[in-house]
Amino acid sequence: MHTLINVGVAQISVADNPAVLRTILGSCIGICIYDKVKKTGGLAHILLPTGSGNNQKPEKYADTAIPLLLEKLDKAGCKRENMSAKITGGASMFKFNSSVSLAQIGERNIEMTIKQLEDAHIPIMVAEVGGSTGRVIDFYLEDGRLKVRSGGKEKVFYKV
Amino acid sequence: MQAQIKQRLEQIVNNIGQLPSMPDVAGRVVTMVGDPDVAFNKVSEEISKDQAITTNVLKLCNSAYFSRGKEISSIERAAVTLGLKEVKDIVVVAATKSLLDKEIIGYDLAKGELWKHGLAVAVLAKNIANLKNYKDIADIAFTGGIIHDVGKTVLALYVQSAFKEIVETVEQKQITFQLAEKEIMGFDHQEIGEKILQKWSFPHILRDIVRYHHEPENAPEESKLIVSIVHIANTICLMGGIGIGSDGLYHQLSDEAIKAVGMKDAELENIYANLPDVIDQVSAIQ
Ligand SMILES: [Fe+2]
Ligand SMILES: [Fe+2]
Repeated sequence: MHTLINVGVAQISVADNPAVLRTILGSCIGICIYDKVKKTGGLAHILLPTGSGNNQKPEKYADTAIPLLLEKLDKAGCKRENMSAKITGGASMFKFNSSVSLAQIGERNIEMTIKQLEDAHIPIMVAEVGGSTGRVIDFYLEDGRLKVRSGGKEKVFYKV
Repeated sequence: MQAQIKQRLEQIVNNIGQLPSMPDVAGRVVTMVGDPDVAFNKVSEEISKDQAITTNVLKLCNSAYFSRGKEISSIERAAVTLGLKEVKDIVVVAATKSLLDKEIIGYDLAKGELWKHGLAVAVLAKNIANLKNYKDIADIAFTGGIIHDVGKTVLALYVQSAFKEIVETVEQKQITFQLAEKEIMGFDHQEIGEKILQKWSFPHILRDIVRYHHEPENAPEESKLIVSIVHIANTICLMGGIGIGSDGLYHQLSDEAIKAVGMKDAELENIYANLPDVIDQVSAIQ
């Protein structure tokens, strides 16, 4: 049996084959990074693009959580050159007044996540982001595949 | 099939026997506490008549979320230590758990997700009321938060069979999920929820919260503020993925609600950023 690990809002979890990392996303982003040689991976569930800096939880923000996730993967013995990423989430409310900045958070999360991964030279294999659907994701560490359930439909992404 | 669903739901709302029931004590306590002149002992007597509720209420009084430190071993003590409004909220938590803490097919909510969603909206709505200095209605925001989606428990089965049409309607007409529910099935989960609360003899203000939580702009003037508070709490929880189901974020964030509560942009973002604290508060309710 695969051990199922639930990753909560503003949490980071790193595990080995054959664990499965699960999280549920609205406007947040689930960043899944996998080392295909070591078969180890990690999931960061971020809420916001950047923090205000005053000793907030680094796991909350894309610009601090992604470096932290990479650090944890390094410590677990992963190699950067074997890593790739899949990102999901970043949904927005269907209807809102565009002057409300909260409503823009999904988009801003997507932008910052992509930028952070590019800066770290981690290739993004899948970006299943945006829209207005909620997403339940299962990240399988046996092969790095990602199952995304959303709006009653299910998709599986295998590329690592 | 649409016609069948409409007909079936019509039957259900016109025959309250088919709507979920609630221990009588809940409706009585909620109504009693709504009266500012009610006597403490009248409320505790009412609760104490129901042994099962009493046990659960005492357990919750001593949970990390509600406890004030000292052990509470009687309802009388709870009323004095926590106040009637808090005891009323605890009664509602105890009374609604079995109904709300289950899998909600159709909306794709696993067992426990709708329950945790209700608690998170309750906690957050209460926090918002306190933050914006509407302290006298913070308890109503909490009660309303717990039960705002109660209509989903009845509608779920029908949403499951009509899901494809609802989603198509959302996309073609660019309307929210709840409006599409109404268009396809004749009723949305707010209206069904309102009927359920009528059956339970819950007061008007709570019925308004349930009925208008996705459309606070249409709420009657006298309940617009409280409906708006719950609307904002619900939206922020959904954005954080707490209790997000197959209807996703196919809802609105109402500008009118933001104005009614007087929320600034930075305050909204801050509340969203602090969702992990709300999740911790919810786990402290057991
Ligand atoms: Fe709702
Ligand atoms: Fe809700």
